[in-house]
Amino acid sequence: MNALIPLVVMLPLLGAAAALIAGKRQRLQVIVTVIALVAVLAVSVVLLVEVDAVGPLIMEVGGWPAPFGIVLVVDRLSALMLVVSAVVLLAVLLFSVGQGMADGDSETPVSIYHPTYMVLAAGVFNAFIAGDLFNLYVGFEILLVASYVLITMGGTGPRIRAGVTYIVVSLISSMLFLASIAMIYGALGTVNMAQISVRMTEIDPSVQLILHVMLLIAFGIKAAVFPLSFWLPDSYPTAPAPVTAVFAGLLTKVGVYAIMRTETVLFAESDVNDALMVVAFLTMIVGILGAVAQADIKRLLSFTLISHIGYMIFGIAMGTVAGLGATIYYIVHHITVQTTLFLAAGLVERQAGSTSINRIGGLLKASPVIAVLFFVPALNLGGIPPFSGFIGKLGLFTAGAQQPSWLVYALIGAGALTSLLTLYALARVWNMAFWRPADEVEKYESPLLEELTEAPGENTDREMKNSPRLMIGVTAAMVVVSVALTVFAGPLYALSSRAGENLNGPENYVRLVFPEGVE
Amino acid sequence: MLTALASFALAALIAPTLTRWLGTRVFLLLALVPLGALAHAVWHAPTVLSGTAVVESYEWIPQLHLALNVRMDALSWIMCLVVLGVGALVLIYCTRYFSNDEPALGRFAGHFIAFAGTMYGLVVADDVFLLFMFWEATTIFSYLLIGHYTDRKSSRGAALQALLVTTAGGLAMLVGLVLLAVEAGTTSLAAILAEPQSGALVTTSVILILVGALSKSALVPFHFWLPAAMAAPTPVSAYLHAAAMVKAGIYLIAAMSPAFASTPGWRELLVCVGVLTMLVGGWRALRQQDLKLLLAYGTVSQLGFLTVIVGFGTRDAALAGIALLIAHALYKSTLFLVVGIIDHRTGTRDLRKLSGLGRASPALAIASTLAIASMIGLPPMFGFVAKEAVFTALLESETAIGMVGLIGVVAGSTLTVAYSARFLWGAFARKPAVTAVALHKEPADFLAAPALLSLAGLAFGIVAPTVGYWISGYSENFPAADGRDDYHLALWHGIEPALALSALTLVLGIVLFWKRSAVTSFQKRVPAVINSADGYWKVMRFIDRTAARVTSSTQRGSLPFYLGVILLVFVVAVGTTLVLNAQWPSDLVVWDYPAQLAIAIIMAVAALAAVRASKRFTAVVLVGVTGYGMAVLFALQGAPDLAFTQVLIETVALVAFVLVLRRLPQRIGVAHPRRRRSGLRIGLGVGVGLTMAFVAMISLGSRAHDPISRILADIAYEGGHGTNVVNVTLVDIRGWDTMGELSVIIVAATGVASMVFLDRRTDDLPRPQQLLGRRGFLLRQKPVTEPARPRGRQQSDDSAETRLSWLLAGRTLAPENRSILLEVTVRLLFHSFIVVSLFVLFNGHNGAGGGFAAGLLAGMALVARYLAGGRYELGAAVTIDAGKLLGTGLLLAVGTALVPLFFGANALTSTWAEGDVPLFGQVEFVTSTIFDVGVYLVVIGLVLDVLRSLGGEVDRQQEDEDPATPNEGLDERTRV
Repeated sequence: MNALIPLVVMLPLLGAAAALIAGKRQRLQVIVTVIALVAVLAVSVVLLVEVDAVGPLIMEVGGWPAPFGIVLVVDRLSALMLVVSAVVLLAVLLFSVGQGMADGDSETPVSIYHPTYMVLAAGVFNAFIAGDLFNLYVGFEILLVASYVLITMGGTGPRIRAGVTYIVVSLISSMLFLASIAMIYGALGTVNMAQISVRMTEIDPSVQLILHVMLLIAFGIKAAVFPLSFWLPDSYPTAPAPVTAVFAGLLTKVGVYAIMRTETVLFAESDVNDALMVVAFLTMIVGILGAVAQADIKRLLSFTLISHIGYMIFGIAMGTVAGLGATIYYIVHHITVQTTLFLAAGLVERQAGSTSINRIGGLLKASPVIAVLFFVPALNLGGIPPFSGFIGKLGLFTAGAQQPSWLVYALIGAGALTSLLTLYALARVWNMAFWRPADEVEKYESPLLEELTEAPGENTDREMKNSPRLMIGVTAAMVVVSVALTVFAGPLYALSSRAGENLNGPENYVRLVFPEGVE
Repeated sequence: MLTALASFALAALIAPTLTRWLGTRVFLLLALVPLGALAHAVWHAPTVLSGTAVVESYEWIPQLHLALNVRMDALSWIMCLVVLGVGALVLIYCTRYFSNDEPALGRFAGHFIAFAGTMYGLVVADDVFLLFMFWEATTIFSYLLIGHYTDRKSSRGAALQALLVTTAGGLAMLVGLVLLAVEAGTTSLAAILAEPQSGALVTTSVILILVGALSKSALVPFHFWLPAAMAAPTPVSAYLHAAAMVKAGIYLIAAMSPAFASTPGWRELLVCVGVLTMLVGGWRALRQQDLKLLLAYGTVSQLGFLTVIVGFGTRDAALAGIALLIAHALYKSTLFLVVGIIDHRTGTRDLRKLSGLGRASPALAIASTLAIASMIGLPPMFGFVAKEAVFTALLESETAIGMVGLIGVVAGSTLTVAYSARFLWGAFARKPAVTAVALHKEPADFLAAPALLSLAGLAFGIVAPTVGYWISGYSENFPAADGRDDYHLALWHGIEPALALSALTLVLGIVLFWKRSAVTSFQKRVPAVINSADGYWKVMRFIDRTAARVTSSTQRGSLPFYLGVILLVFVVAVGTTLVLNAQWPSDLVVWDYPAQLAIAIIMAVAALAAVRASKRFTAVVLVGVTGYGMAVLFALQGAPDLAFTQVLIETVALVAFVLVLRRLPQRIGVAHPRRRRSGLRIGLGVGVGLTMAFVAMISLGSRAHDPISRILADIAYEGGHGTNVVNVTLVDIRGWDTMGELSVIIVAATGVASMVFLDRRTDDLPRPQQLLGRRGFLLRQKPVTEPARPRGRQQSDDSAETRLSWLLAGRTLAPENRSILLEVTVRLLFHSFIVVSLFVLFNGHNGAGGGFAAGLLAGMALVARYLAGGRYELGAAVTIDAGKLLGTGLLLAVGTALVPLFFGANALTSTWAEGDVPLFGQVEFVTSTIFDVGVYLVVIGLVLDVLRSLGGEVDRQQEDEDPATPNEGLDERTRV
């Protein structure tokens, strides 16, 4: 069973290699990459079932014993993240295949998009199974470099501009991460996460705090927490629709995942929870205010993305099993729903030629299907019961109420406010883009629209196009998945809670990698 | 009950399809669902009324104690009757209200039945979070139903308003429920109520829950959304905004009242808010001209009335409150439905335009009169019974707050009488000044639902004691009053104070109506006291403005700003921890040897100069200096491999930069930052550097263990069969990292290609004409020739004197771009470079070198070919697509990792073989060498990609733009 672990990285890389070798044969590239991701999905599901039933798995790559070689670790959290990412990556790949079949090669050129996308997938998967801090860095590096290529694909002016912001900020974060690793190695002489966990407790707490804060800043940029989040809305929305969808769904969550491991494994004894709570509070509020101020749906969604990262940080900052369990469920929910909404926004853009609610209308009449595909995840993101957004929030609030403090109460309040404002922003989109008849759009006056800002850059309307069945089908499938998070909330939440229990205390992790202990 | 809920959901899903087939008749079919649930409730009436709740339960999320627990006790049972009975009747009414060509009828039917289901779920839910789910779901369906006429701006606005106001309250309620459930340790409403907690936390949570209830039931200050919601079709108003949804808040108050009425603030809050709402609603109802709006404000007023009595929290008050709730549901839905019919028959709801309707349609007038009679409390209607009970309950409480409530409801009831009279007069009276309206014919069964509802009001009044018995199952949850018998519902209680109060309200109300012109002119002079609708807009504007302001101050669109913030956070946060640091290292080694300092200074100066450089090329070279400095540091530290690789990387990078720089302006366009700003940046830069330096000092100073690298050399030799520890680490011990980094290189190469070619990865390099026609091995070995004299003179001299070319494609370059010296050098060195690179590749395992360095060396050979012979030369040198090289390299590397898995070993496990090979002698082969070959290929692929994109393709683009450049299109010209 251990042999399955490295496959989640190797299969996409093989897919990438095959796609490169296939060269000009685009159909073959498409088939190969889809097969690779389906295989990863299958492997991840098997891993999840196995890990949940039997226990966590590790692989010492190359047979080199930890801490000398690289160790890959799959516990419940990792396995769950693998499954969700595989689902999302596969869905978005199919979506872009549909788009490519309809529009030709302009938005997601096969020979560039497919290999790069596979590498991105490999990076994401690698980050989730890394048991070695430097390997985690490599995972980040893989997915980041791939994302640099994807975000600038097509090379249009706005994309290059967005790409520069994105790349430079990401490089800074990578540098900080790398420097942190160097400092940690300097202090502890190891990069194996389990061993770091053990040795970290032996150095002075104030030194722990320095390293801790430094690493958190590096991850905070990737996870887009306030005030390290400003780059995100300026870069994500300009990319091609499927790229934005997968970035928004997955990449920030890899940062959140890393923060989770940081708090529970690497620096289990160093407590910065109160600071994290403050950060979570600001992330939620400032993020959602950003969403309220946007006219452009994709940009609006980017702000909700940041804002809801705040929920996850809140959960992590509680540090309890209940808080971690709720956070894990929330991450699963948010990956799915945020991706789905961006896919739906992609459909809106095709249907209406724009994503600015100042310029579009009548979509309910024009395409009831797209309307449903937008409405359901929008409610979900707005935390309307019975959808998973509500369940996750309920879990977080409940976990908070179980360890009351003024800070926690403030966060619960902020969480409720964020939820309301998310609903406001999305319902306004619904009112304007879907309900409002198309012929009212010109010279429309409403106090609801007065303070909105458009996305920067030129806002010319795109050509209106029908969406092929595959794109609609994939989006619909994602909506079904997001609803399934509610229907199967029982087992899923139970699984998240068990995953949260695994994170309770670093001993679990250490024992897994070093059954006989380590110093 | 769960089955019933599922049927509602199913009905909602198939309703749109059914509507397509059945038209408006679909509502008759849909009405069967609430009727079925109603039958279920009636079936269980004996059990419920005997005091045993009907319970069903289904586990959902045990970790959150979230379960599909439903429970029908007496209160739920009564609510079920109201919700389901009125719901079924309104559905039947819809059959006539809508016509088959109504747009979006299917959607409406689906939303409506779904709403009925969620409302049913709300009243039977036992789990507080399940209750909240239904609570919010009713909000959503209400949003969709209010916005049914999507082409009307007012509808859309009202829908959004209702959504936001009720959700805001709902979220407050959710927080309250969470706090309460955690405090009580259970999520079951029944269990929470059975053992009510107390304390500040509980009080807070109860108040929060009440906020939710008040917003849902449209109480001051949230009341404004309800009149606006009248934009919905009339059946929606009748059901959601009279009988069902707005009662949800009242229901919740009623449900919690037995346990929490004694919570500090509960009674005061509810009575005051209730009285205020009752008065505000009644007052505003008096001046409405639109019958539907009149009813809407009337509803607001009545909801206030209900809140006062339901929230009062004594046994008699509870009895009175629920009775009033039933009465209100019956008469108010009747009146709304009547207004719908009036609207249909006359085309207007404006009471200034209606005249003579009463005589024209007596049945309608009778139904309305019955309902109005119930509303103003005339015997023998049920409304009378309920109102008597309310007055009595408040009278006997003998508390200050009871008196406030009593005076309030008496005053409110007076207003009720006045606006009810106004309604009746406005709708049906013959007004001399107004011409009688023309009437459309409507089918008689249109009237069925309102007639039934109004008759029910009458019937309930007659059987009041029975209804009282139903309610007693709920009201007996309250402690019995001392020294007094419980009140019971009856038409006749004898001459007592309550009867007098009823009479008083009637008289005063009639006077108010009679003097209506005086009232109207008085109202005009008094400004609206509480205008929450304005408040709503102010709040929304405030939110929008704040959002815009906050966002524009943070989201500047400026990369320097973003970077500044990030670095500032780094300096401040890490700096703070540094200040707090307690363990500064005692012994500092400044340098291992002085050369380090010298190199560091050179690197620092170069870095600083690079920032200040005004020319791009200078900046690139200066950055290169820092890189070479690093290489020297590596070399001095005893890492020749690293140093070697670093030098090669810097060189290749420099070449790549230079290729790009050809297309860029020479100078860097500096937008001359203001001095202050630039000072800030310098400060920040220095801060980052110092912070990092201190962190390094501290972290290295606190090392307690030997680093694992001490042992790496040993295990590399023993386990990896290599004496070059760097190489073994790269391809074996940490080969997994290397595999990842290979993909990084591949993607980087792809990215470069993507930026230049934009939409394709594969682009074959052009090959010289002479080679194109050659097929077969032998032909390809034939030397390439070119004219002996430069091309310019060739045309006049046809002797075609040729000589052997030094390079395959040398002749494709314009003569002035050629350097024979370079061509000869490259011709001589290329193959040696390749051979050396192969040596470096295979030597790497034990000596200096490795796949990476070897690949860079081979790459350098390609660079040389390109520089000497242009893109055709490059095409001739490498006939294979760069993508294929990269792909194959990755395949080799991943394959090396994959294969051991098939043998049951861990991924990437290496193995080795030894043997005598002729000529080479004793040879040791380690499988990780295959991995290294992969690295080698990938690196070559990268260099090739850089050359063909930044070199070849940029050449071509440049030549396209500027035909004067001589290299352009030479092949075409020579062909002539």
